[in-house]
Amino acid sequence: MEARSAPLGGLGCRGLVAAPGGSPVLRGVDLDVPAGTRTVLVGPSGAGKTTLLRAICGLQAIEAGSIELGGRRIDRLPAYRRRCAVVFQEPRLLPHLDVGENVAFALRAAGARRAERRARARALLTEVGLDGFERRAADRLSGGEQQRVSLARALCAEPDILLLDEPISAVDANRREELRELIARLQGERGLTTLFVTHDRAEAAQMGERVALMLEGRIVQEDEPAALFQRPASPVVARFFGSANVLRGQVRDGRMSLGGVEVPVPGPDGEACVTIRPERVRLDPAGPLELRVGEAAYTGTWVRLRLRGEGLGLEAMVPPSQAPAAGELVGVALPLEEIWRIPDFEAVPEEGRRAGVRPRGGS
Amino acid sequence: MRSAAATARGATRRVPPDLLRLAPALLVTTLLFGGALLGALKQSVEPPLGGGPSTWSLASWRAVFADPTFLDALWFSIRLAVISSLAAALIALVLATLLRSRGPALKTTFSLPVTVPHLIVAVLAVAWLAPGGIAERALGSLPIGVVHAQSGLGIVLVYVYKETPFLVLLLLSVMGRTLRRREEASAVLGASPSQVLRWVVWPAVRRPLAVGSMIVGAFVLGAFEVPLVLGPNYPPTLATYAYQATQTSPLSGQGKAAASLLVAAAAAIALGLAALALARTEDG
Repeated sequence: MEARSAPLGGLGCRGLVAAPGGSPVLRGVDLDVPAGTRTVLVGPSGAGKTTLLRAICGLQAIEAGSIELGGRRIDRLPAYRRRCAVVFQEPRLLPHLDVGENVAFALRAAGARRAERRARARALLTEVGLDGFERRAADRLSGGEQQRVSLARALCAEPDILLLDEPISAVDANRREELRELIARLQGERGLTTLFVTHDRAEAAQMGERVALMLEGRIVQEDEPAALFQRPASPVVARFFGSANVLRGQVRDGRMSLGGVEVPVPGPDGEACVTIRPERVRLDPAGPLELRVGEAAYTGTWVRLRLRGEGLGLEAMVPPSQAPAAGELVGVALPLEEIWRIPDFEAVPEEGRRAGVRPRGGS
Repeated sequence: MRSAAATARGATRRVPPDLLRLAPALLVTTLLFGGALLGALKQSVEPPLGGGPSTWSLASWRAVFADPTFLDALWFSIRLAVISSLAAALIALVLATLLRSRGPALKTTFSLPVTVPHLIVAVLAVAWLAPGGIAERALGSLPIGVVHAQSGLGIVLVYVYKETPFLVLLLLSVMGRTLRRREEASAVLGASPSQVLRWVVWPAVRRPLAVGSMIVGAFVLGAFEVPLVLGPNYPPTLATYAYQATQTSPLSGQGKAAASLLVAAAAAIALGLAALALARTEDG
């Protein structure tokens, strides 16, 4: 197998293994963050995202593997020599320093004079929307303001890579969008190589030029955001990105029976697994499937419907104005172009086997 | 409708100032500490029971400051307080740094001496370290005299043994996860270990260390049981001087004892203010 090298100027992790506290958390992680791009690392709690970030910046020792950044190997360097700046989940500001000195901390470590530090801090604070804050006490700011200071502090270090570990999760909901936009804007303007960690798939889709899904210490799929949502590589990826519709059946002559409806499925004949996103499931009185609404739950923007047929379960997301009531029988259409055959379906659990759907008017 | 400014002013008014929020604690401290000080002050200037001036006077103060033994005791006490608290602070800083990432069992073991009374440690020190004591019988001889040493070494050793764990506990309380996280944040910003120590760890620990050392110093200045058991025959400490004054002259000695203890209290306050001034938060 040909060994990959790090993307030119970007970050390349190869076969990273780490076991903080003795238990293996990273189990051979391969990850590329091309130079100047914003990659999002997404996964559920406990997947190893933060451990990977800590391993990259030197706060977590690795047992195997290598890390390259900007063409140099950094995994044997101490944290302070790696040129990685981190924005943590909590701001971690120094309470005995004012905001300006917090922002300019990296310059101070590099030996810059006070006047230079002050000027740079002032400029960066303006960029993050905190003009005139440099003399304020760091611990008197709101959570959102502190996180902006933390971002300015990271940018001040002019790092080779910016690592953001769920930087928005501790900020109140009203400020999150502003902070996301700010991060995206500053990253874009600087062309800064960035790895953004989140457990929120919607945030991953919004923030990532590329998204890497991490499950149980491994990257299981890395692609553009839309690909992860629409073309998941495995049932677990499909489920993580919100598709509960993982349907298994037999492909014969290039067609698969879904609820008695024959749909064309690309690839070889044999056992197959397909998925369709809940928001692509269409309620259509003339649709070929007739299913009963088991549950209708308002989620804020959509109504999530759990549709039940004989041996079939489907999930659909519909606008509130079109939502039927629980217990109603509805016609359902599955647009053929939205059905995706999952390439790796070996690990499909038993509950994923939902073939034998009763077609409308079928026997 | 109230304006936003008026609402903001109203919100500001609802927050009590720091002094008001501290009032309950200040009241108790003033009553207990201030009351005791006032009582001692009154005793130092009121007419002695055993004769002498019949009105309030500064006779006891004049007698105390004219007594060379008192001046020696004052200097000796300050020296013991400063050396004990500095040595305890230094050792505590090293120990806390070593212990901070260890488990609770080791931390608990190191903090056990806090629970042992000073007098018991002093008596054990005599049993072990006095001429003819357990250590001398086991080793043949001790390289230096500890018990009743003119330098006050025995007193210092007992206080260092007793007060170091107290300071370690204070330091460990601020060297927890929050400080560790700040150290990490600083390291990834390019701060070397020595810069992290100077700019992150030291600013976090210097205030509790100074306050703890101040408490140790004040305690050493006022305590008398350990100097009585382990101290030299001369000079006495201020507390033993006061104790001896009441023993040699039970009636007229009360004023001298009160005056000398007030001097000890003043010295403790002065040392405390100096420690706080040194630890005042400043940039870097």
